[in-house]
Amino acid sequence: MSAFPDSAPSPDTAAAEAARSPGREAWRVFRRNKAALLGLALLGLVALVMLLGPTLYPVDPFGLASQPFTEPFTNAAVPLGSDYLGRDILAGIAVGGRATVTVGLAAAAITVLIGVTVGALAGYFQGWADELLTRLTELFQVLPSLLFAMVLVTLFSPSLTVVTLAIGAVSWTTTARLARAEFMRLRRLEYVNAVRAMGAGPLRLMLREVLPNALPPLIVSATLIVGTAILFEAGLSFLGLSDPNVMSWGLMIGANRAYILDCWWAVTFPGLAIFVTVLGVSLVGDGLNDAFNPRLHQR
Amino acid sequence: MTSVSRRDVLRAAVATGAASLFGLPLSTLAAAARGGVVVIGSTNKPRHLNPAVQSGIATMFPGVQIFAPLLTVDGNWKAHPYLAERWSISDDARSVTLQLRKDARFHDGRPVTSADVQFSIETVRDNHPFKSMLAPVNAITTPDAHTAIVRLAEPHPALELVLTTSLLPIIPKHIYGDGQPVPTHPRNSTDVIGSGPFRVVEFKPGEHVILERFKDFFLPGKPQLERIIIREYKDTASLLLALERGEIDVHPGLTEPRDIERAKKIPGVNVVPNTGPAIGRLVWLAFNTANPKLADKRVRQAINYAIDKHFIINTLFGGVHLRSTGPIAAGSPFYSKEVEAYELDLDKARQLLDAAGLRPGANGVRLALTVDAIPGASDQRAIQEYLKPALAKIGIDVSVRQSPDFPIWSRRISNQDFELTLDSVWNWGDPVIGVHRTWLTANIRKGVIWSNTQSYSNPRVDELLAAAGQERDAARRKALYREFQEIVVDDVPVAFLHEVNLYLGYGKRIAEPVDNIWGLVGPLDEFGLKQG
Repeated sequence: MSAFPDSAPSPDTAAAEAARSPGREAWRVFRRNKAALLGLALLGLVALVMLLGPTLYPVDPFGLASQPFTEPFTNAAVPLGSDYLGRDILAGIAVGGRATVTVGLAAAAITVLIGVTVGALAGYFQGWADELLTRLTELFQVLPSLLFAMVLVTLFSPSLTVVTLAIGAVSWTTTARLARAEFMRLRRLEYVNAVRAMGAGPLRLMLREVLPNALPPLIVSATLIVGTAILFEAGLSFLGLSDPNVMSWGLMIGANRAYILDCWWAVTFPGLAIFVTVLGVSLVGDGLNDAFNPRLHQR
Repeated sequence: MTSVSRRDVLRAAVATGAASLFGLPLSTLAAAARGGVVVIGSTNKPRHLNPAVQSGIATMFPGVQIFAPLLTVDGNWKAHPYLAERWSISDDARSVTLQLRKDARFHDGRPVTSADVQFSIETVRDNHPFKSMLAPVNAITTPDAHTAIVRLAEPHPALELVLTTSLLPIIPKHIYGDGQPVPTHPRNSTDVIGSGPFRVVEFKPGEHVILERFKDFFLPGKPQLERIIIREYKDTASLLLALERGEIDVHPGLTEPRDIERAKKIPGVNVVPNTGPAIGRLVWLAFNTANPKLADKRVRQAINYAIDKHFIINTLFGGVHLRSTGPIAAGSPFYSKEVEAYELDLDKARQLLDAAGLRPGANGVRLALTVDAIPGASDQRAIQEYLKPALAKIGIDVSVRQSPDFPIWSRRISNQDFELTLDSVWNWGDPVIGVHRTWLTANIRKGVIWSNTQSYSNPRVDELLAAAGQERDAARRKALYREFQEIVVDDVPVAFLHEVNLYLGYGKRIAEPVDNIWGLVGPLDEFGLKQG
């Protein structure tokens, strides 16, 4: 994390900096990362599309809007062209983001929930609980995640919920390991011992004392997981494993994959949308990593 | 059996393949290999080679080369002598006398006799999944070694066509009649003996079947080829690549528009449509008529009017497939085109829904339905996707349901756990074989796929099919089937979408492409290479 040589503390500003709140301090570090700002801008754009897209461009993404295989920028009715059925690509982009990003967020939430629970229990209690949970984590780690997710989705037939749960079920292991390490480190610190001496039970210690201090690295990893989850969803869709009844960017790619040589735009535009989203999420994740890194803060 | 080294065979195969790739004359190689070697690619993996107890192209295609049928049929549905040199039907049409050739032998040298014919017909009648083919057969008598008389409970005009295909292969009694059940007989896959133009050199399930010219074949000078190698490929993409690379000489069935376009661009390869019209691969949208939502015929008709079949054929499938208007494939002599065509008519569709009492609700939706499709069939997936916007136009909200694998789809459909499903049902020549099964009230059978899974029941249809199945006069039979087609097209237990047009791709060095209604599922003894 010390990849920024210019971030060495400079004594003359230290006093002024110390007066700032941690949030402002983090934002200051974040802002210094130009790429992170770009990421934030991209995410803002994606959020706009998600929130306003269907209102600004109220076209049924499943409707037959024009002749099939209409090239982009040739027909005002379908600005980004149409796919093999004649469905409007722009309508798909405008509406599909909601499902795609929701899957990403929900899968990341599930990942964090499972990962933190397993990691926290293992790291805090150690002993046999740690043994058991670590073995469980390893068991899931050695399964090839895409294949495992494919099996789950195929087994329960693709719907948005199943896809989300499947992605969550295969990607929680990294978070679990991270959370375990953090909990193992923090539980030995003096302030935790102090609270324990005051008679706090394990649940209170874990939730109120240890977890808040373990959060920064977990938030960073959760952000990146959102990105991977979106990519994961796109990957499953490419293999034809996405909810056929909900328009998503992944579904657009999956449905038009067979026509990729005749109709590049039907795959490229949703692909670009996914690319922009994942890039935004990754850049912001990197920025957050800096922002939460105390070594980059000037004291 | 394997005295000819497999490596030699494969080397010859590779050499001929390369020759076809560069368009070289094959005389030199052909001379070396006496008639030449043709490599046929396939994606169908036969479990075994005995079509007497197994339906499906995978087994039938090698099966008909190995086991000679009694008759053959040309491209005009006319039967010709093969293993039987004469056949006659009695005046009451309740017995068919077959006169066998006296010079026909099995690959192990034993003569083909009427006992084999009797044994084969009984085995097929009792074991083959297509029950209706031979259901009326009561008994087979064998007055002498080369005469067999088939006694029928009722007239059975479909019999002649059944005799022409690998639906009724003549299998040796001295091998399969040893008391072991034929469906699981070990000789179905090892040391397979028939009396067809080619004998098995090697059968490696999942890899290849190597067939060699049977020197004592009963037709003099035939077959032309020295060897046929059926090589199996895991999917259609690798099969097409094999054709492009010249690894195979024959691609048995191109159906994807893009594949057909690609195949046409390969130098030295001919692509011809309409192979095996008798098979009649219909693709349709089936309705579960037992479901209250779909019990009203007007609802089904409305849905039919809202589906643009021309869009499906021309846009989704690049114009390669054939329009299908009824339960009998267009190539059949019993096909009738005097039926309602259900051309796209959204106004009429809406009127029908109104008349059925289905008014649009607050959000414009009149009815919500789910549509299934055979999993893995990419063409059906495309139609499934199309139905959603197409039926939305008349206020029907379609949800796509996917099945993880074929057995699950098949279980759902055959247990009436569906509303709409895309399905592909094949004619198999005579209507009695492949058509009757999906329309007869008596054939509403839970758990049996490709029975009457629509739960369709119309007493007049039952009557017509019973009569047509027994009618000997071709014109009267055709009239019965015409009325049947009119009724079921009007009742719409299924909406007919298209018939798959099978394109055959073959190297230009092949002289004689197939000319029979079964395509490659007929004997390939005429199949040969051009003279170099």
